[in-house]
Amino acid sequence: MKLIHISKTFFQGSPKEVKALADINLTIDKGEFTTLSGESGSGKTTLLNIIGGLERPTQGSVYIDDIELTALNDEQMAAFRLNHIGFVFQAYNLISVFNVKENIGFIMKLLGDEDTKIDKRIEELAAILQIEDILDKFPDQISGGQQQRVAVARAVASRPKLILADEPTANLDSKNSERLIKMLRTLNEKEHITVIFASHDKYVLDQSKRIIVLEDGEVIEDN
Amino acid sequence: MYKIAFNIAWESLMRRKTRTWLVVTMIALSLSGLLFLQGLYDGMVTHMISTAIRSDSGDISLYAKQYRLEKNIDYHIKNIEMIKSYLDHLDGIDSYAMRLAQEGLVATAHKSLGATLKGVTLEDEHRFGKFDTFLYKGKFGFGAKNQNAIIGFKLAEKLKVDIGSRLVFTAQDATGEINAISFRIIGIVKTGNIAIDEGSVFVSMDTMSKFLDLSKSATQIAIRIKDSSQINNIQYKLKKHFHTLDVMRWDELYPMLIQMRKMMDLFNWISYAIVFSVAALGIFGVILVSILERMREFSIMMAIGTSYKIIRYQIISEAFVMAISGYLIGAFLGWCFLIYTASSGIDLRYFKAGLESFGLNAILYADIRFYYFLQAFSAVFFAIFLSVLWPLHVLKKIKPIEVIKGKTV
Repeated sequence: MKLIHISKTFFQGSPKEVKALADINLTIDKGEFTTLSGESGSGKTTLLNIIGGLERPTQGSVYIDDIELTALNDEQMAAFRLNHIGFVFQAYNLISVFNVKENIGFIMKLLGDEDTKIDKRIEELAAILQIEDILDKFPDQISGGQQQRVAVARAVASRPKLILADEPTANLDSKNSERLIKMLRTLNEKEHITVIFASHDKYVLDQSKRIIVLEDGEVIEDN
Repeated sequence: MYKIAFNIAWESLMRRKTRTWLVVTMIALSLSGLLFLQGLYDGMVTHMISTAIRSDSGDISLYAKQYRLEKNIDYHIKNIEMIKSYLDHLDGIDSYAMRLAQEGLVATAHKSLGATLKGVTLEDEHRFGKFDTFLYKGKFGFGAKNQNAIIGFKLAEKLKVDIGSRLVFTAQDATGEINAISFRIIGIVKTGNIAIDEGSVFVSMDTMSKFLDLSKSATQIAIRIKDSSQINNIQYKLKKHFHTLDVMRWDELYPMLIQMRKMMDLFNWISYAIVFSVAALGIFGVILVSILERMREFSIMMAIGTSYKIIRYQIISEAFVMAISGYLIGAFLGWCFLIYTASSGIDLRYFKAGLESFGLNAILYADIRFYYFLQAFSAVFFAIFLSVLWPLHVLKKIKPIEVIKGKTV
């Protein structure tokens, strides 16, 4: 993945402009377990959203597997996200009218996978993420930790090339945070999925193989 | 893709049963109300037309030229045997009735009024328009010596007469002499045809012929046809054959009924537009709110890769499933209302006087026509189509990530 001269300015009514990212250049290899770190307002979530095609940069280009993401239209971008990217949001963002099983299988269903294949994958992920007992429950019937694990299961179910996780541990206690990161690490190692976090959680940083630190929209450290 | 979207739509409808039933009930109730109103209005006009046809004009009437303008028995139809023979052999004729009428003065010992004395054959009138069903009081017959008369109920009220009362009718006969004839009232009819109820006295054809000194003649030959769609065709044939007679369709004889029908159609459309607009606004509001309140859900779906096309199809599917359900329930309810009202009628005796002054019965019967249901179908789907347009427009404009972050809706 390549990010070339990425800049993002939010226009909140002239003349108020907020520069969120300034000339970011990055290369992230396949199978990396990377964290974008920095204080609140440093631009890490914005960068994550740009990588995932949820936001468009004001300037610059994003390439994933030689596809210029920034050149795609909204429909193509949605299709790209569906086929290649899994998202884990800070606020879980499960679909409230679907039960846990339907939430996990939703993306596979959109991709046209057969029900038997979907059921098998759900069982497999439920076992890894220890959510077998809540498959028939709805999001408002389970705890925050369980919701976050369901969100991870949904993100990885279709075996995307890339998982983007925005502050996935922010609403979890330390025990649940550790369990979640370990699970993502296992998936990263077993299924060679590239995982990028936006987080300033110490545990997440400790577990990351690469940490990119942002400050005022610029990369100040990359190791 | 569409199957997935439809499945999502179905799940969404099932998991939000209250909202779904609210919209379905709204569509069903407004639709059944519309169908009921439409059937009732049409039923009122149909009843008036049917009454006019049965009691007087038939589908087509024959008159001597000038008779309708001058109402003078000098302009009567001769050769009625030849006309009868022709009608008996003409395809599409169901029945006919010959009438001999003269205007004059009907009097009691205390009061006199202008009226029309009509000579009729009751057997023919029964075949022609089931005239006996209009009997309101007394008996349907003229007695063994044909000395009895049947009178319209309004005329009886004005003259303050009842069954058994004696009447004297004075009129000019065919020779120009003023004659008078006395009858005893044996029956009172209430037809709903104001001209008859307020101003007609029926006597036997034989009595009338003798009274006017005019045998084997008629002033009107009213004809019923088997298939109303053939009316123009039969009128054309009759005009061609009897070119010395006026051959008039019922709508030419009663232009007021056509005006009434047009007025009722307009009234129907206005009622339809008002009720439907209110219902459409309700449907629009509920669907709009249901979509706006789910903006976050749709945004999450879009963020994780669901295309706008799928969500659009999901929303349209939801709306149309509700529309179809509402339509089916509403059409069934409306059909039940109409079936009941068409057979048992609505009893509005409280408004009897007002209704009768318009020639309507106190019990109103509805019509049922297939096109009501087609019209309602189009109306519901048009409303549903409109109701999803704006929400879809809003949805197309949103940036999913901003909705998820809670910045905008």
